[in-house]
Amino acid sequence: MANANPPVLVAQGIGHLGRNFLREVGSMFWFIVNTFEETFERIQHGRVPFRAASFFRHTQRAGVDSVPLVGLVSFFLGLTMALLTGYQLQRFGTQRLIPGLVAIGFTRELGPLITGIMLAARIGAAFTAELGTMQVSEEVEAIEAMGIGPLRFLVAPRMLALFLLMPCLSTVSNIAAIGASSLICKAYFSIAFPYFLDLVKDSLLIRDIITGILKSFLFGLLIAAIACYRGLTVKGGAAGVGTSTTSSVVTAITTVIGFDTLYNVVYTTFYPT
Amino acid sequence: MTTPTHMVELRDVYMQFEEKKVLDGFSLKVEPEERLVIMGQTGSGKSTILRLILGTLRPTSGSVFFKQFEITRLQRRKLQQVRRHIGMVYQYSSLLSSRTVRDNVALPLEELTDKSRDEIDKIVDEKLDLVGMKDSKDLLPEELSGGMKKRVALARALVLEPELILLDEPSAGLDPVIASVIDELIISLSEKSKVTSITVTHEMDSAFRIATRMGMLYQGKIIEEAEPEKFKQSKNPVVAQFLSGSTEGPILEGSLDAITKK
Repeated sequence: MANANPPVLVAQGIGHLGRNFLREVGSMFWFIVNTFEETFERIQHGRVPFRAASFFRHTQRAGVDSVPLVGLVSFFLGLTMALLTGYQLQRFGTQRLIPGLVAIGFTRELGPLITGIMLAARIGAAFTAELGTMQVSEEVEAIEAMGIGPLRFLVAPRMLALFLLMPCLSTVSNIAAIGASSLICKAYFSIAFPYFLDLVKDSLLIRDIITGILKSFLFGLLIAAIACYRGLTVKGGAAGVGTSTTSSVVTAITTVIGFDTLYNVVYTTFYPT
Repeated sequence: MTTPTHMVELRDVYMQFEEKKVLDGFSLKVEPEERLVIMGQTGSGKSTILRLILGTLRPTSGSVFFKQFEITRLQRRKLQQVRRHIGMVYQYSSLLSSRTVRDNVALPLEELTDKSRDEIDKIVDEKLDLVGMKDSKDLLPEELSGGMKKRVALARALVLEPELILLDEPSAGLDPVIASVIDELIISLSEKSKVTSITVTHEMDSAFRIATRMGMLYQGKIIEEAEPEKFKQSKNPVVAQFLSGSTEGPILEGSLDAITKK
């Protein structure tokens, strides 16, 4: 091995990385499938898959508690976007395009994306650290040993909470950004609020809103699945929890951006504007 | 292959973790209402045996039976149903750290039965009373001492009225009085409720107090199996050295030289 020439080593390295990547994608896919299977089996037996209190605890933490962060960041982004594009458009006398630009930009693209990135960092990290700690302290094994399905008990309520809450948070993000841009339009470009609203309504299509909502559902599911998967596969004690949490955030953000691009490519191929 | 009539049977089990061979053709039969104690050095694979019976680990080869069920071949759903008849007490208790004592003990009842809250509370109180922890039910596990945690873990393991209870080092790290209380509990469970138990430990006093039968695990196999009195008088050099705690003998041979040379 030591005498192997560098191109072979590089090819081996790439092959190794590729194999690990595919293995991870496969494991993650089956993780989601098994969670669904375990949850639906329980429903088939006429029992609730998890307690409502557990679900609402996660919606509170992932959803309601994230509103200030998502709202504030989107508000600042809306301000900046309106201000920077406004000055450029003003040179051509087309500043009335600002409301449409911010509205479409956020509902279709930036709202779900920014919310996804923020939730991956805020909630994804929390899910991974929490489940990872339970894994290393044998709590997950104890749950399994009692005959309780850990995927149904631990993963399903988190996944459902994030899946349902992401579109709501994306909407908060959209409203905050559009609201912020209306302030800039009024203060710098003399666009009154009623006119601003008319311009938004004229430019925004239902299709844009639905696209954004669908993306949000998908991102919510992906972030929760990645965070829980990383948490339940922690190895190596406290250091392992740290490594997995970092890896969870990095993977979730990269996946969200990757899927966003993929979604846009597919969407524009089938529905060219 | 015949279906066994024993409570638990392990047949020719091999277990390997990467390079390390833990069980090497391990076989064991446990009869109903027996209190089997498996002794062995730290890291000899004692806890692995319990995990194999529960099905949380799968052996490299060999079969594990719980009553008529072959644990090693069961599908996930059936395995979950079988596990409800087995209670497990982990070495470090493994209580859910974010739930109170009451919620920890109530968990199997809430998740796996259709009992009402009142019924659950009644059973939880009864089991906590049994282990002398009724007054601590609103505390979180972090507020409990090691012995208290272990007693709560025992109450949790008993809450579904299991037929078999597995105990991983139940008295390790406990003071002699609490250790005796736990031992007495295990004995009274088998005598009153006909619960079979398998305990793995290297605590000599506790082992001889609980056991109706003892086994010595060494190099992946049971090398001696007998009733406590006969076990004590075993001529097997490994058992004799383990019971006497002597440094002279087959255990540590070779590695002891390395230690003393340092």
